[in-house]
Amino acid sequence: MEILMKHVSLTYPGGRQALKDISLTLRSPGLIGLLGPNGAGKSTLMKLLTASLLPSSGTILADGQPLEVCERRLKSCLGCLPQEFGLFDELTVCQFLDYMAALKGLSGQKDAVGKAISAVRLEEKAKSRISSLSGGQRQRVGIAQALLGESSFLIFDEPTAGLDPEERAQFRNQFSRLAKDRLVLLSTHIIEDIQAVCSQLVVLCRGQILFWGTPEELIRTVSPGNLSEDAVPTGKASADTVPRGNSPLEDAYLTLISREGGR
Amino acid sequence: MKNICALIALEWGRLLKRPSVRLIFFLTVCSPAFGLFLYCPATADTMLSKYLANPALAGGAIGGILFGLLTIRERGREKRCGVNTLIDGIIPPSSMAFIRTAALFLTAFPVLLGTMAFWLPVSRFLIGSVFDIRDFLLSYVLFMGSAIFLAVLASASAFQIGGRADLALALFGIFAGLSLTLWSENWQLCWLNPCVWALSDDFSNLRIFRSAAYMRLTWAAGLAGLWLLSCPAVRRRRRIPFLSKIPSQAGTGFSVRRQVLRPAAALILFLISACAWAGQPFVDHSNPDQSISAFDQIPLEQGLTCSRRLVRLSPDTKRGTVTGTAVYQFQNTSGKPRTAAFGINPGYTIFSARVNGVPVPASVRDYQEFNEALLEVTLPGDSQMELTLEYGGFPREDQSLSTMQGSAEISGEYLYLANADLAPRLINAEPDSGVLPVTVEITLPEHMTVIPFGSPQAEIISQNPGGTLTWQYEDEGTGGILYAGDYIRQDIEAAGITVEFYYGRNHETVMEEAGAANAIRAVIQYCTDHYGPLSFLSGNTLKLIQSRVSGGGYAGGGASLLDEADFTIASLRDTSKGSVPGEVMIHELVHQWWGLSSMFEADGAWSAEGLTVYTTYRIVKELYGAEYAERRYVDQWKREMEDYYSNFYVRNPEFFQRLPEAKRLEITNRLSRVRQYCEMPLKILKAEQLAGGETAMDQILSRLFCREPSWEEPYLTYEMFLNACGLTEEDINLE
Amino acid sequence: MSKIFRYECRRLMWNRFFFGILLILLFFGYQVLNRITILGAARTAPFSPWSLGDYACRMLPLLWAAALFFLNFFLSPAARRAAALTAFTPVSLRHYETIRLGAALTAVGVLTVLCLGEAALFCAGYFHQNPGWDLLRPALITLVPALVFALGSGWQLGQICPSAIFAWMAVPILFRLLPLPAPFSLWSGQFFSEYPLTLETLDPSLTLPGPVLLLQMLLLAAGILLLSLSYIRDRLNSSALTGGL
Repeated sequence: MEILMKHVSLTYPGGRQALKDISLTLRSPGLIGLLGPNGAGKSTLMKLLTASLLPSSGTILADGQPLEVCERRLKSCLGCLPQEFGLFDELTVCQFLDYMAALKGLSGQKDAVGKAISAVRLEEKAKSRISSLSGGQRQRVGIAQALLGESSFLIFDEPTAGLDPEERAQFRNQFSRLAKDRLVLLSTHIIEDIQAVCSQLVVLCRGQILFWGTPEELIRTVSPGNLSEDAVPTGKASADTVPRGNSPLEDAYLTLISREGGR
Repeated sequence: MKNICALIALEWGRLLKRPSVRLIFFLTVCSPAFGLFLYCPATADTMLSKYLANPALAGGAIGGILFGLLTIRERGREKRCGVNTLIDGIIPPSSMAFIRTAALFLTAFPVLLGTMAFWLPVSRFLIGSVFDIRDFLLSYVLFMGSAIFLAVLASASAFQIGGRADLALALFGIFAGLSLTLWSENWQLCWLNPCVWALSDDFSNLRIFRSAAYMRLTWAAGLAGLWLLSCPAVRRRRRIPFLSKIPSQAGTGFSVRRQVLRPAAALILFLISACAWAGQPFVDHSNPDQSISAFDQIPLEQGLTCSRRLVRLSPDTKRGTVTGTAVYQFQNTSGKPRTAAFGINPGYTIFSARVNGVPVPASVRDYQEFNEALLEVTLPGDSQMELTLEYGGFPREDQSLSTMQGSAEISGEYLYLANADLAPRLINAEPDSGVLPVTVEITLPEHMTVIPFGSPQAEIISQNPGGTLTWQYEDEGTGGILYAGDYIRQDIEAAGITVEFYYGRNHETVMEEAGAANAIRAVIQYCTDHYGPLSFLSGNTLKLIQSRVSGGGYAGGGASLLDEADFTIASLRDTSKGSVPGEVMIHELVHQWWGLSSMFEADGAWSAEGLTVYTTYRIVKELYGAEYAERRYVDQWKREMEDYYSNFYVRNPEFFQRLPEAKRLEITNRLSRVRQYCEMPLKILKAEQLAGGETAMDQILSRLFCREPSWEEPYLTYEMFLNACGLTEEDINLE
Repeated sequence: MSKIFRYECRRLMWNRFFFGILLILLFFGYQVLNRITILGAARTAPFSPWSLGDYACRMLPLLWAAALFFLNFFLSPAARRAAALTAFTPVSLRHYETIRLGAALTAVGVLTVLCLGEAALFCAGYFHQNPGWDLLRPALITLVPALVFALGSGWQLGQICPSAIFAWMAVPILFRLLPLPAPFSLWSGQFFSEYPLTLETLDPSLTLPGPVLLLQMLLLAAGILLLSLSYIRDRLNSSALTGGL
């Protein structure tokens, strides 16, 4: 699976430009992390990749074909978990996943449902109504529906929100395993998740790509120690004013964002 | 408590900022306008019915629905946007439910005040000189304001029960819809739109207001109980399908007392509501089958006669109740104890029964008919007895008139007491000398004039401290009808008769403008010329009394009753009727010739109404023209008869038998009225044509009217009429 | 797809709301049958097609509201949040919509059948009559076009403004209050109680004047058109996209 974005821009009808001239290549296998502050355009980018939105300019190709043309084919191999979503509270976990499997047109739905439930460790709650689940369990149901079938392209937007640290670690490992033979795009605010498993990293800010590369490259390129007076405008962000993170990657990310915020 | 009040004020402030609340505010203020054109349940022609009752009722129905929708929308919105999750952590759900409901109540107050402020000048303008501020305030508070409060309670309960906005909407919608449609004929069920068919212009309306207030309170108790029971609370988790499942939260202030108190309070409210429902004091439980007259079948007690009775009445015009003492002089020739049977208003209680000063057993039976309950008093075997009954209470109206309440008004402006309302009506003892003389004394405020219905004249016998007068009059018979109010009396001379025309002081100008005196003169002259003079008047005097709006009128020996609705400004402006107001007035006057109870033997379609309706048609024909009379009467009769003969159950009596008894009764009562008021006049009209025309019929009727009743034939029967016309029943059967 | 249809039917019909509204409908139907239908419409028998048609007319506002409630199920904010997941599946939007509308139609159909069943039981219980075709014909004429139109118009209205569906529920009630011309007499609730009186025969068989029938057919056509509007739009968009590339 290869997703190619060429000079893609998107302006909403109200006039707000959400993405500016984005060019990106996503190839499987791989686990790509998407970082950025709130309002950076991460969700918009994900919507473009899933053909929920059409770009105002530029092209998006999936395996060489324009996304508008192969939308259905793309969705048949897509598993997506958006940041905000709802579930059918009146159905049980099994029934809901069965429903989603039917929507995805999967054959052998029963097996796919069983695998997905096992993957998220919800066997005990399989027959329970979704309305009786806790927030974290509902999140796991969301992840499970994204894992239904053998999707070759997975998009997760804040998948570990609401999960406890043990669960988060478990899902990180799972994403890492999944990325071995498919393309996984992971959008999150939790740097640990990116640092632990992502092979590539895209940093977005104000609709533009600030960085695209490996996490190590980000640390090397952007760190508080590498800041000079030439690089940073006077009176704006400096080594002393950049917030400190818990890890070098976080430091580098925060520095990069602060620099962008100073412009 | 302070905290709760502060929170209510906070929630109220939040509500007032919502655009939807302001929209509801505006729509509710405008809603009484529908009562002027579209929604007019009060059908009487009085000004207050058209321009006060209908707008207030429309405002109540529409305002109630709007506030119900608002309640559900607000509760649903809070649930949808998830703010409940935050608030429940601060304030218990039950307290918050109370705060929200109270805030909605508080929102309704300025809406009601705004509506009243807007519609006060409009109503004043439309109603004119008979506008009364007290009636205006009571109408809007009881018919509109209370409807809004009940609707908020009902919709909040629906939401709390259903747990979701759509189900609550459906529940509330059906509850309101039923009240407005299928339940509108049941005065206790129509919670949103009370049964108000008329408000009087000239006299008071306290009874109908009391009735509406009573049912509002009954429903308020029931709905408050429902609200309490459905209030969200911390409950145990239960595995019952379709019920809310909120996990129990120990240690959050949940207490056993709260768990018990709320359901207990709800139960008490339900009980209050149920007791109020069952024990309502306004309408009796008379047998709906009006063909049965069980009291008339009670045989006379052997050897028991009554020579005289005395009635002393002290109505409480503030509370609408009556207290009285009735004294009966009995003679018992049998030497054995006897049971005297009386008909008494079902709302009265017998406080004491004494014979010659000694208490005697007296009991009131459960069975009721024609607005009377049966009172039985055991009389000892003494030859001369003076029975003193002390009684009183709030008189009830007949249940067949439950949707037309208000006639049994007792207030400082109007009083009406008839037969068993006046005093217990003796059923099973003959008068000693063929007639039973009665002396009636009544004490009323000094501005009220007492008018006995019939020939007796009331006189003032004492002036009492406290501004009351005691009146007295002599009459005959076991019953009697009494009116009192702020009346003006106008004496009219017509065809040798002196007509004492009594009408309300408020109506003086209207009567003069309408030329009511001339109309009365015309009718009396016609009937006297065509049928003969009235022979049973006392000193050639006929009383004509304007009553509080009652939907019709009636006549008795020497008196006729006229409905005030016939003389309202609205009906008098109706020029389609010509220059003479009120065909009902004509009809009731004609009853003096045709229709006193002792004159007719009713049999199926034959009754007093047939000849009266026919004669009214003849008078209207002379006054308005043949075309008008034909259109308004004959065509109407034919339409009704066509409808009657086409009625499915008339054509297929075998299906009629399969109906439930209550339905059979309802249909029978409706159909018998059609036969009396439409079929018989058509037959008389046919007889007129066969007998040789109007002049010939006039001669026949004149002979019948002037005949001397004999012992063998005391009543005017259908057979007599046919014989007088020289016709058989088959001759005048309708095609 | 049949699985999706079954699930949607289950979601619509296996819940408190459906059973609640069913109870409300049956209760209201009982009140109508016992107070009005039992007297017979327009001098005809209570089990005549006219009386049963009058019954269907009186049930229409509630069934109309129920149909719109079912649509609201798919247009509510909770449904829109769940659509965030279903939007990423390869299912054709028009097929998905069709299935959902089909489920809504089925749910309304079930309610309608049960209401008609109540009327049939009423006729059998009181009069030992099996109304059969006498019940189905007026019900089909009265209810099917109206309910199809309700679903179609409600669906399109809901796409523009979901809250407007609730205001749309009041349409049949308004029609009963306002003075309408003769072709709309079926909507004003007067057709079955007044039209037979104009036929100058007792117990006439059920006939519909041309304008009334035409209006019902137009309504049905409009309803079908509105239901398929999304499909038509989708097809137009697809050909535009293909044509553009």
